[in-house]
Amino acid sequence: MNKTLRISFALRITYKVNSIIFALKSLPLINKLLPASLYASRGLKGFALVIAWIVEFFSVFLGKGLYLFSMVFPLLGTFSVPQNVGFVHCFTFLTIVGGFMNTQAFNPTKDKYYAIFLMRMDARQYSLINYVYFIAKMFVGFMPFTIIIGYLTKTPLWICVLMPLFVCSVKLIFMAVIIHNQDSVKNVYNENMPTKIVWCGVLLCLAAAYVPLYFGYAMPIWLFPVLCIPAAALAVFCTVKIWRFQDYRRIYKKLLDPTSPVFAGAKSVSQAATVDMYQKKLDTDITVTSSASGYKYFNEIFMRRHSKLLTRSAKRTALILLCIVLMGIGACFAFPDIRPDLSELVLENLPIFLFVMYFTNRGSVITQAMFINCDHSMLTYRFYRQPWAILSLFKERLKYVAAINLLPALPLALGLPALLYVTGGTSRWWDYPLVGLAILAASVFFSVHHMVLYYLLQPYNIEAEKKSATFGIVNWATYVVCYAVMMQDIPTAIFAPALTAFCVIYIVAALVLAYKLAPRTFKLR
Amino acid sequence: MELIVRDLVKNFDKKEVLKGASFKFSQGRIYGLLGRNGAGKTTFFNCVNDDLKPDSGSFSVEENGAERPLNPGDIGYVLSTPVVPEFLTGREFLKFFLDVNGQKIENIKTIDEYFELMSILPEDRDKLLKDYSHGMKNKMQMLVNFIANPPILLLDEPLTSFDVVVADEMKKLLKDMKMDHIIIFSTHILELAVDLCDDIVILSGGVLKKIEKEHLDNSEFKERIISALRGEDDE
Repeated sequence: MNKTLRISFALRITYKVNSIIFALKSLPLINKLLPASLYASRGLKGFALVIAWIVEFFSVFLGKGLYLFSMVFPLLGTFSVPQNVGFVHCFTFLTIVGGFMNTQAFNPTKDKYYAIFLMRMDARQYSLINYVYFIAKMFVGFMPFTIIIGYLTKTPLWICVLMPLFVCSVKLIFMAVIIHNQDSVKNVYNENMPTKIVWCGVLLCLAAAYVPLYFGYAMPIWLFPVLCIPAAALAVFCTVKIWRFQDYRRIYKKLLDPTSPVFAGAKSVSQAATVDMYQKKLDTDITVTSSASGYKYFNEIFMRRHSKLLTRSAKRTALILLCIVLMGIGACFAFPDIRPDLSELVLENLPIFLFVMYFTNRGSVITQAMFINCDHSMLTYRFYRQPWAILSLFKERLKYVAAINLLPALPLALGLPALLYVTGGTSRWWDYPLVGLAILAASVFFSVHHMVLYYLLQPYNIEAEKKSATFGIVNWATYVVCYAVMMQDIPTAIFAPALTAFCVIYIVAALVLAYKLAPRTFKLR
Repeated sequence: MELIVRDLVKNFDKKEVLKGASFKFSQGRIYGLLGRNGAGKTTFFNCVNDDLKPDSGSFSVEENGAERPLNPGDIGYVLSTPVVPEFLTGREFLKFFLDVNGQKIENIKTIDEYFELMSILPEDRDKLLKDYSHGMKNKMQMLVNFIANPPILLLDEPLTSFDVVVADEMKKLLKDMKMDHIIIFSTHILELAVDLCDDIVILSGGVLKKIEKEHLDNSEFKERIISALRGEDDE
């Protein structure tokens, strides 16, 4: 056991050290300063090792702190119940969500694959050791923050001490349940690809964590220890079950199968599996075709045969957004009190929807699919890389990408003005079209942004791995800018025309840039 | 027509792969490019095809006594791993290819005639390329390069994925084509190189070098090639 712990830890640290060195290497300027034989350099390794340990140490606390100080603490003031009651209520239900969504054992990651299958470590020992470490991190990591927030909200200290214990108990119970159900279900539970039932459970718990608090309902604090103590007792029983379970290897065999789409759902998955997943999404119906010619023909067939991959999630998002808008409109009739709030949302907080458009935009998935299923092979043909060819295809593609992304934009572009109208409206009639226009402009903006980035930076190498540090930086910057804008309260009368104008200018500039530069930059790495 | 390579240099980080490679390839000949693993054959091809920018050196074409820079249209490059757009059928791929390249192709044929040329059977022509075998994908890749008919053809390990019958057909096809083309053919199969190629060029130590056959018989010639690849040859 002890040896397994040491080896699995050493493995993870080595893996992190090499990732740090790799990341340093991909930074444009620093790269020049580093020696060629990087991975063998002792000084650098030592440096990366220190960083890896620091990261490991902070990972115990940082995530939990961020979680509590972003999802719980800032909202406590907005509820209509005392802060300590809100804290305990919210924490209880979010912990149950965490039981589904953060299991450690059922997160298919590369380090598990390396340890169990490449290094042939004992699967049971490896899983248990890592699970114990995970649970210990939960306990130690949560304790300071529950105590701090407890102090700030005047929650009894003994409740705050029980909270991390509750987290660990819930995790152990879920783990035991998943293990217990393994034999009766076809697919191994994968926390990154929750089933519909799990999604429903998560949404219900999320709703239960926040919604009642706004209406002044909350679980009384005394109920928490009443829940916590039986949960802890049950967790002891579950620990025995987890400990006695022998079939970890079989579970991981299924969960970490590199060719299975289950494994491909993971973020940190082997690239080959992602490529494979994209390729499997091809619609093999050859009667789906096109009557156009040249690049238009080529692009239409590509889009139509990948329509499931490219548009399904956009349609789904559109439907969800439509439901939310309709619920908002319905709520205005059912609870007239919330009308001013919703009116303020549209008239003062429109920047939030820029962020929504950022998240619902499918541009990055579409460009990745374009690369893996098309450009990856076609770019080896010289005729395909001629300036004229690149530009004609770019135009054809942009139309489709913009159209796909307009799907989720439309319910907002039409729904928000409607919502504004039912909340009592505004005296300035032009606010209605401006809100719609701003949403549409933002949608087209993100479509163009993703396409232009893809054509100017072409971040993928032949294995479809992202290799461009610049691409990462630009994406990160986009996120930061959107987030910063969201944080501002800007009146819609200013924000909507400003955003529309910015988008138009950006779109024109980006297209000019793409036309000038893409013939040189769009190639295989 | 001649392809002239002058002082080609290409480094990756601090590794020198091509160290001033120079050579003159002539029309009407098939060149067998041999080199050990990692010698830089693919790098060389990628530089010729403008997939990689060389650190220094140049390519030019000599035609009717005048020298001009190498144009994109001069080159066809067939990769060892066939890459074709898998979401199209064979017929759709050819239609698309002819749509966008048609005006540059002399005496254009019908799509089915092109399939005939490669002996691709009628029942395979409307299948998705994704469902083609490795050899068939390779045929398609070779076919579009033949259709475009560029004067210079770079073939990276082209015959290894074909069955013996198709490989034999391809060899004949290449021999028929060579009068109007410069064909550079990289391979690890010595027999194939000696059998098919008019000249053997080795890439060793970052430079290109022709191995003279002179009066040697085939087995003595092979010995000479191997010792040159080992770096024992100091001619």
